[in-house]
Amino acid sequence: MQFFDKTNIDFVAKRKILITVSLSTIVFGLIIAFIFPPKFGIDFTGGTEVGVKFAKTMPTSELRTAVSEIGFGSSEIKTFGSEGSFLIRIQDSDNAPEILKNGLNNKFSDNPHEVLKVDKIGPKIGNEMRTQAFLAILFSAMVILLYLAFRFEFSFGFAALVALVHDIMVTFLIVIIFQKTGIFSLEIDQTILAAMLTVVGYSINDTVIIFDRVRENRDLMKGKSLVSIFNRSINETLSRSVNTTLTTELVLLVLLFFGGPTLEGFAFTMFVGFIVGTYSSIFIATPFALWYFARVKKLDVGENDVKSITA
Amino acid sequence: MKSKIGKIALIVIPIIAAIFALYPTYNYSQLESKRADYLHRANQAGNSADSLAIMNEFKKNYGQEYQSAKENSLQLGLDLKGGMYVTMEVDVVKLLRETAQKEAIDDTFDRVLEATEKESQTSDESVVDIFSRKFNEIAKPEGKSLISYFDLGDISNASEEAILDELTKNADGAINQAQEVIRQRIDKYGVSEPNIQKQGSRRILLELPGVTDESQIRSLLETTARLEFKLVRSNAELVQSFQKIDAMLASKSSKSPAAAATTITDTANVTEQVVPAPEATAELKSTDTTAKNNDVASTTDTNKKEEVTKADTSNPYEGLSEKAAQNLYSSKHPFTRMFATFWVGDTKDGQMQPVSYDINSFPQQGNYYFRIHEDSLAKLKIMLKDSKVKSLLPFDTELAFQAKSEASDAEKITGQFLDFYGLKSEPELTGDVIVDAGKNVDPTSNSWVVNMSMNSDGSDKWASITGANVGKRIAIVLDGNVYSAPNVNAKISGGSSQISGMANAKEASLLEIVLKAGALKAPVKIIEEKVVGASLGDDSISSGINSTLFAFGLVILFMIFYYSRAGLVADISLLINIMVIFTILASLGGTLSLPGIAGIVLTLGMAVDANILIFERVREELNKGRSLRSAIDEGFSKAMSAIFDSNITTFMTGLILYYVGTGLIRGFALTLMIGILSTLFTAIMVSRSLIELQLSDGKNSSFSFGQSKNS
Repeated sequence: MQFFDKTNIDFVAKRKILITVSLSTIVFGLIIAFIFPPKFGIDFTGGTEVGVKFAKTMPTSELRTAVSEIGFGSSEIKTFGSEGSFLIRIQDSDNAPEILKNGLNNKFSDNPHEVLKVDKIGPKIGNEMRTQAFLAILFSAMVILLYLAFRFEFSFGFAALVALVHDIMVTFLIVIIFQKTGIFSLEIDQTILAAMLTVVGYSINDTVIIFDRVRENRDLMKGKSLVSIFNRSINETLSRSVNTTLTTELVLLVLLFFGGPTLEGFAFTMFVGFIVGTYSSIFIATPFALWYFARVKKLDVGENDVKSITA
Repeated sequence: MKSKIGKIALIVIPIIAAIFALYPTYNYSQLESKRADYLHRANQAGNSADSLAIMNEFKKNYGQEYQSAKENSLQLGLDLKGGMYVTMEVDVVKLLRETAQKEAIDDTFDRVLEATEKESQTSDESVVDIFSRKFNEIAKPEGKSLISYFDLGDISNASEEAILDELTKNADGAINQAQEVIRQRIDKYGVSEPNIQKQGSRRILLELPGVTDESQIRSLLETTARLEFKLVRSNAELVQSFQKIDAMLASKSSKSPAAAATTITDTANVTEQVVPAPEATAELKSTDTTAKNNDVASTTDTNKKEEVTKADTSNPYEGLSEKAAQNLYSSKHPFTRMFATFWVGDTKDGQMQPVSYDINSFPQQGNYYFRIHEDSLAKLKIMLKDSKVKSLLPFDTELAFQAKSEASDAEKITGQFLDFYGLKSEPELTGDVIVDAGKNVDPTSNSWVVNMSMNSDGSDKWASITGANVGKRIAIVLDGNVYSAPNVNAKISGGSSQISGMANAKEASLLEIVLKAGALKAPVKIIEEKVVGASLGDDSISSGINSTLFAFGLVILFMIFYYSRAGLVADISLLINIMVIFTILASLGGTLSLPGIAGIVLTLGMAVDANILIFERVREELNKGRSLRSAIDEGFSKAMSAIFDSNITTFMTGLILYYVGTGLIRGFALTLMIGILSTLFTAIMVSRSLIELQLSDGKNSSFSFGQSKNS
C-alpha cells in the first residue's frame, strides 16, 4: 500500500508567509515564556517532593487540608499515576519527609499510605542543573551547525538551526499552554529537558534527510530552478517523513498512556516535539535555505518550473 | 556480502552473541529466586545463628556462580529496583569555622561565614573564593586579617594567599576522609551492593539499593567521625576469658542438641580453613632527632621466649579420625573456633604461633593476635551481644575489628580476613591533638611510612602514654574501626611519630586519611537525595515491559501492513536490533533504568526510519522501471548518505546529553547512542542480508516492497 503516490505539492511557494509566521512564532514564544514563566520541577528549583499512595483514594482538597494541618502551609499537591497516588511538594526542612509521613499516618489512621518516592534537591543542585540544561542545548545546536556546514554547506546549517530554534520554542510554548490550562500537569524537569534535546536531534535528522535529497537532485536536475529542486526533494521524501513520524508517534503514544507517571511528561513533550519537528523540516528549514540562497548568496532561486514529476 | 554463508553469519552471529551476553542475566534471576528461598528460610529460622548458617549454606553452594552471574548481568537502576540515591558535599563553611582558631572567632568572622553560606547555596564559585571575597568586603574594613583567624603551622610564611591555598587544600582533602568513613558505616549498616563514588573534588555520590529508611541513613551519613588512640589489650587475660566463653556456650549447647547440630554443619569454622598469620610489622617510633631514648628503650625490651605448650595430660582426641577430632574440637569451642588465634613472644623477630584453646595456661608475656573471616564476623558479633558473654570479658575491655578494606577481585569471592583486638575501652588520647599527617617512603628501609605530628598539649600526653607502654600496641581507631595497631618501640617525646609497616602506598594513604580525620573533621552535608520505593520500582518495570511490547507490536504490524514482505524483513531486523542493544548494554556493564527503557522504546520507533528510507528509495527505483534486483541495489546505496548523516546528528545530541547530563539523563543518552549504532548495523547489514537471502531462493516474484501495482 502507499499513502502518497507521486505528489507534486508546491511546498515552498508561500515561503515568504511561512518565514514571517515562523519568525513571529519564535518571538511570540519568547514573549509568552516571559509573561507566563513556565513552572519548573524541583530538579531545577530545589525542594522536596514526596510521592505517596493511599489504600483508599480521596479528593486532592482533603489531602491538602491535612498536609497544611501537619504544618506544611504552602504545599502543592497533584495526582500521580494510579488512583489514590499523590505527589506532595513541601517546603524543605530537616526531616520534612519523615514529619509528613508521621503526620499522614496520624491524620489518616484508617487509610494507610505507602511512600512511593522521595526527592530532595538542594537549591545549589537545582542551579547547576539549569546551567547544564542551557549548556546542553547550546552545545547541541553548535555542534550540529558545524557538522552540517561541513557535510553540506553553511546555508543548510543555518536553515537547520532556525528550524531547531523554532522547534524548541513551539514545543516549549505548547508545553506551557498545557501546563497553564491544566490539561497535562507538566513541569519542566530533567526528563522534559532530555525530551527536548531528543526533539532537537530528531528535528535535525528530519531536515538532513530533505537536504540530502536536495544535494542529490542539484546534480540530477541541472538547469532547473532551486525552488523546483527543493520542491521536488520535499515531495520525494514526503512518504518517508510521514511514515517515520507515524511509527515514532505510535510508540510515543504507547509510552504516554502505558509508560507510567514517571515518563508522562517525557513522552508528551516528545510527542509534540516530533510533530513540530516534521513540520519545521518541510515548512521552515527549506524556505530559510532558499531565503539564504537568494538574499545572502544573491543567487537566482527561480520559480517552480517543474509541473510534473514523472521523470 | 558475496556468499550466502556470510549473509547467514551476519544474522546468526548477533543472535548467538546475544545469548552469550544475556545468559548471566537469566542465570542471575534464577539464582536470585533461589536466594530468595534461602532468605525466606533464614527469616523463619528461630535464632540469628541459624539464619546465618542457612545463608552461609547458600554461599557455599552457589556463592561463586551467583557472584559471577551478578557481575556479568544487566543491572537494574535504582529507579527500577528501589533504593536511595544521595549526593553529599563537603560543608566548606563548617570546615572553615572548624579550621579557624577557636579563641579568634568573633562576631565579624561569623558575619563573613554567614554571608559566604548564603551566597554559596546558589553559586557555582568555589566556597573558599566566596569566603575570600566576603572577608575582603566585611572584615577588611574593620581592620581584620586572615592571619589573625587561622594558624596553619609556620608563622614565617603565613601570607593571606598561603592561608587561602591551605584552606582550599583542606576542602579538597576532606572528601577522601568522608568517603572512607561513609564506606565503613554503610558496610556496617548492611547495604548490599552499595555504590559509593567521588564526583569532582567536593562530592560523593551514593547509590544504596533496597534502602528506604532515609532518616536513619541521613544520621548515619552526616555524623562526623571520631579518631581515638586506644591501648591494645590482646593479652593472656583476654584469651582466658575466651576460654571461659567457650566453656559456657558449650555447656549450653550440649543441653539443647538442636543448637549443637546447627553449629557443627556451620561453615563458619576456622578449623577447616587455612588462616594466614598476620604480620606484626607495624611499629611506632619517634622522628624527633633530638630524642635519643630510642636505643635505650629497645634494650629494655627483653621478652622471655615462652613456648606454647599443650599442658593436657590426657588427650581426648586420641584414636579419633581427623574429621571427628575437628568436630569434637568445634563442639567444645563454639566461640573460639570461629577465629584463629596466634601468639608471639617477641614482636621484633618472634615467630607467630597458632594457639589452641585446649591448653590450660597461656603465656603471660608477649602478644596475641586474632583473625576472623568476614563471613564469621556477623555470627561473632551476635554472640558478643549476649549479656552472659559480655560479662565474661575482662573489665574495661572491648573488642574492635579491623576496618574492612575495599575488596580486591579475588577477595570478592573468597572474602577477607580481618584482625581484631581487645582494646581498653577508655581512649588514651583523642585525635584532635593531631596537627598533621603525611605518608612518605622511609629512605633507610625503603618502605612506606606515615608521619604524624601533634600539638604541644598532645605531645606531652603522648610522651607519657608511649613511655608507659613500650613494647605494647596502640590502636588507631576511627569511628570504632581499627586502622593500625603499631607496636610502641620507645617513648616518643616531641610529638613527631612515625608509623611503619605499611604494605604499599595505598595502605599508607588510607592511614594518612584516617589520621588527618583527627586534625580535620570533614563535615559533609546532603545536597540531594532521592528515594524510590520498591513498589514504584515494580510498577515502573511492568509498565516499562508492557509499553515496550505494545509499541513493538504496533510497529511490526504497521511495517507488514505498509511494506508487505519487505516490512517483515524490517521486523526481523528490528528484533535482532533489540537483541544487539541488550547485548551491548550488558557487555558494557550498563544499568537499565526507566529512562533507559524509554531510550530503547524510542529507538524502536526510529530504527524503522532507516528501513523506511531504504524501502521508499527502492520503491522509487521500481517506479522508474528498474528490475527488483537493481532497484534494491540502487535503493540501498542511495539511501546510505541520508541514513548516515541523519543518524550522526542524533548520535551527537546523545553524546552531548551523556556528557552534560547526570544520573537518569545519562542512562537515556547511553541507550539512545547504543540504539543508533545497532540500528545502523541492523538496518543496513542485516536487512540487506535477509532480503538477498530471500531473493536468492528463487522467490523473486513473490518478494514485494508493498508498492502500488500501477508501475
